[in-house]
This record gives sequence, C-alpha cells and structure tokens, in this order.
Amino acid sequence: MGYLREFTKGIIKENPTYVQVLGMCPTLAVTTSAMNGLGMGLATLSVLTMSNVVVSLVRKFIPQKIRIPAYIVVIASFVTMVDLLMHGFTYELWKTLGLFIPLIVVNCIILGRAEAFASKNNILASFLDGLGMGVGFTLSLLLLGSVRELLGNGTIFGYRIWAKDYSIFIMILPPGAFIVLGLLAGFFNSISLKFKGSKKG
Amino acid sequence: MKIFLIFVSAILVHNFVLQRFLGICPFLGVSKKIDTAIGMSFAVLFVMVLASSITWFLEGILRALGIGFLRTIVFILVIASLVQFVELFMKKFSPALYEALGIYLPLITTNCAILGLAILNVQLEYGFLEMLFHSIGTGVGFGLALILFASIREKLDLQEVPKSFQGTASALITAGLLSMAFMGFQGLVKL
Amino acid sequence: MGEILKTALILTLVTLIAGIGLGLIYAMVKKPIEKAELNAKLKAIREVLIDPESGKLMVDDSELPKSLSELENKIWRSDESGIVCNCRKFKAKVYSPVYRFKGLNGEEIFILTGSSPGYGGDVVVMASFVKKADGMFENAIEILDYSQETPGLGARISESEVKKRFYGVPFSAFKKSEGLKVNKDAGVMPKDKREEIEKLKRDGVIQTSDIMTGATITPRAVVNTLNCMFEWLGKVEGVK
Repeated sequence: MGYLREFTKGIIKENPTYVQVLGMCPTLAVTTSAMNGLGMGLATLSVLTMSNVVVSLVRKFIPQKIRIPAYIVVIASFVTMVDLLMHGFTYELWKTLGLFIPLIVVNCIILGRAEAFASKNNILASFLDGLGMGVGFTLSLLLLGSVRELLGNGTIFGYRIWAKDYSIFIMILPPGAFIVLGLLAGFFNSISLKFKGSKKG
Repeated sequence: MKIFLIFVSAILVHNFVLQRFLGICPFLGVSKKIDTAIGMSFAVLFVMVLASSITWFLEGILRALGIGFLRTIVFILVIASLVQFVELFMKKFSPALYEALGIYLPLITTNCAILGLAILNVQLEYGFLEMLFHSIGTGVGFGLALILFASIREKLDLQEVPKSFQGTASALITAGLLSMAFMGFQGLVKL
Repeated sequence: MGEILKTALILTLVTLIAGIGLGLIYAMVKKPIEKAELNAKLKAIREVLIDPESGKLMVDDSELPKSLSELENKIWRSDESGIVCNCRKFKAKVYSPVYRFKGLNGEEIFILTGSSPGYGGDVVVMASFVKKADGMFENAIEILDYSQETPGLGARISESEVKKRFYGVPFSAFKKSEGLKVNKDAGVMPKDKREEIEKLKRDGVIQTSDIMTGATITPRAVVNTLNCMFEWLGKVEGVK
C-alpha cells in the first residue's frame, strides 16, 4: 500500500498550501473565484505531474551540479506547453489566469517536489507524488476560491447563493486573500493540534 | 514625468507583494528578522533590475525571430544564471551577508516577483527607461513591504499569539492588514 | 575542464530537446490559438451589433462574419501602423482596422476598437456606432481587455449592468459636452431614476459612481476611448 500513500500524503498530511506553505503567489492571486482556483489548480497539477515524471526519468543522467537549471528547463517547457494549449483550447480561462500561467514555473511546489522527491524515486512513485500534491494544491485553491467568492460576491461558480448586499467586498481584494488564507491556515492548524493532542491522550 | 509616475506607482499603488501577489514566498520566509529582510531586499533589487534589463533586450530578439513562445524558458534561465552570479559575487565580497541569507539566496530564482516583473515589462510594452524605472520601483516596493513586515513580525514574536495561529497564520493576517493599508494609496497616481 | 564541458553539454542537450519539443507543440497549437482569438473577436462583434433596447441583431444574419475572410470583407478603414487615430486630448487611441456593416434598414454601422490607460494597463473597448439620417449614435460596447484592472472594482466594467450605462450615447452628447465624462469628473451627483440617468447621458455625462463605487479610473478609460472614437468618426464622416 506504499504507493497509495505517496498519492494521499499530498492531500492532507503534507498539503502544499496549509502545511508546507509553498506556492503562495498563485494561491493568493488567482483565488478570486472558485472557477479560477480550480483552473489554476488543474494547470499546476498537469505541470507538476509531468515534470515529476520526466525528472524521475532522467534523474540518473543529470549531473548533480546542474540539476537545478536542468529541472527548471523541464518545468518551464511543460509550463509553456500548458500555456499554449490553454491559449488555444480554453481561451476564456487562459485570459483570466493571464500572467500566472507562466508563473507556474516558479511555483516552489514544483521545483520543491522535483528536488525533494522525483530526483530520488522511481517513475511511478514520482507520478503519484506529483498527482497527490497537485490534487492537494487544487483542493486548497478550490477551497480558498470558493470561500472568497462566497463571502465577497455571494456566489459559488457563478451560482448566486445569497444577495449581493450581504457580501464582504474586501474578500475579493488582496487583503481578503491574505486574511482568509490566514484564517484557514489557523483553522487547519487547530484541527491538527487537536488531533495530535487526542492521539497522545 | 511619466517615468516618475511609473516609479512611484510601482512602489505604492501597484506594490508587487501587497497588491500583485508576487514574491510572497520570500516575503513570508525571510521576514522574521529585519537584518535578513534588508539584505534580501538589496539582493532582490539588484537581480530585478539586471534581470529585467537583460530580458527586455532579449524579448526584442525573440520577437524578431518569431519564437516568442520560448520566452518563459529563456527568461527563467537568465534569472537562474544571474542568481548564480550574485551568489558567487556575494560569497567573495560579502561573506557575512552570504551566510546570513543562506538558502534564501538561490531561492531568489524562484521568486515569482523577478519572473513576474520580466513578463510584466513585456506585457506593458515599456520602452527602456520606463522598464528601468518600473524595475527599480518594484524592487524598492518589494524591499519596503519586506522590511515593514519584518519590523511588525519582530514585535509580534514577543506577543502571546493563540497556538493554532502561531507562525504562518498570524503572519498572513498581518500581511492582509498591511495590504489593506496600502490600498489607501490607490488613485494616488493616474497613469 | 572535462567536467565543465560535460555539464555544459548535457544542459545544452536538455535545452535543445525542450526547445524542439516546444517548437513542435507550438506548430500544432498555432491554428487553434488563431481560431480562439478570432472566435473571441467575432463574438464581441456580434454582441455590439445587438440593439440593447430590443435585444435583436441590427444586421441581417448573413452580414455577420463567421470567418476571417468574411471579417476582412467588412474592413472600412485601416492603417499599416495598426493605429487609426491617436487622440492626445483624451489620451486614447483607435486601432486599425475599422469595420463597417449594413444595418437591416440600410443604416451604416461602424465597429471600432480602441483603448485608453486604466488602472494597471490599457482598457481595450470595442464599440458600435450607428449612422442614421438624423445623426449618429454609439450603440453598445464590449470590453475586450480589462485584465489589469482591480478584480471586484474596476474589473466590474465587464458586467452587463455597468456596460449598459455606456450604451446609446448620441453624437450630439459628445459635441455638446466637448467630450463625455463620468459623473464624478463632471461633478454631478448620481441620480436614481432611469430617465434622469438617460438625460445625463444626452448631456454627455455617464453615471457610474453608483454602480461602480470607488472605481473611477476604469470607467474613465472607457469614456476616454469612446471620446476618441467619436472625435475620429466625426472628422472622417463629417458628422455634425
């Protein structure tokens, strides 16, 4: 069951956003709506999975000294590929995510996993690791995006939940991103502390 | 005149960290102490200006050759190399700072602010001087946000924060308040 | 020496493979990208050719371009530089090409694309102008690019309720006021009743401060773009 764990760890135990605190830039910037969060999450997931596989594939051929630049080239290629494909096939989403698609390159999660895992493990494990982290990341973005969209606009995925008059506008603006993420992080923290506490007791 | 406006707006109105969400990782990571924050700010400013200038120049070549889509790869390679240079340079001439920054120095490569700035300059189709002042302003704005935040965090560390909010969570909420404060600058500059 | 050479070689090889791979993808994706961009443009054109009052198309369906060649048939004026007019007075520009369509009742309908600096960058607007016997008026707008505006604030310019404030501005309004203004710039308090908002429009004042609270820069950019379009059309068509 070892392989399954490689996949699931990325979702909760080592969740990139709330536990590892990686990939903050896109997390805060594109989560102005549930849809945006989902789109960005999926794009990052694709790049993460593909790059993990390739890095694992070539891990024995790349000399230690240049591994970081080499990984970066691999990651940047997949990002460019995803960018081009989105431009051609998911135009609206591409336009909305804009600058943050090429910025997937510097999403510390991807380089982090390549360095910490894919370069030391076989292809299947790396694939699952990338997939799991990607899913965890996507879920985090989806959560953050939904909360912000709901509080700030009264809608989720465009469906109106309550009237606009009840919306806390600032949730959609930059300060709201920081604050909601901070509150969510504190919330998850308290859950894990309780969990650890009950385990001991 | 426009150049001055671009410069000021990059620092206050369109602050990279607090408004555009670029450079958050180092922002949260290096802001625990004021000294490291200051050192990091200078390193980032230096890399930003140099990287923007080189990539601005390369963009012209890429476009002329019709391979604009290779922009991301080329830009990030330039940035990675530049950071390597800065590292070697710093190791030789300022070993104390090099030690202090530690792992965060190579991490400047993955600082989305640098790549983001390079791409933004291209998107906004700035001329050379505009690009230069935009980059310097952005670097200053980054440093400003970083140092402000570090000062607040140093004080925060001495307070009694609820257990589940210690560390990242309270940092994020503080950043949110700082971002809110900076929103007051909106409308200051009419580009 | 050999070590450095080996590493440099491998890095170059990796980059080369990446470059070639991407080149292939780019070649494959080029057509879909052009198609997506064209579709977005055709969609916008269709939107501005709808009469907001009746909700119906103002041109016959056969007039609607559905391909690049059909679109190019509708080009009326163009300029090699890509810009048809630069209005320093309004800090806006009108892009090339300008399209002309024939309305259901024989009127001429012009479609212009222009831009003006907004909050973080240029706001790109597509607008339709209808020329009738008794004068010319702007019909509708589509915001083509507002990606640099603040989400939730200036970015709301793309919402239909907000866009409607910019619909149906007569040329006389532009002439009378020597340039449309948002009500904040004109120093006019926002009105509640629809007739009063329409009256303001006829005097050249576009009311936005009630539905776009706290955002003036973005609607101002749209107004400036419209002004530039009005000015150019007035000159070219000799409209009074």
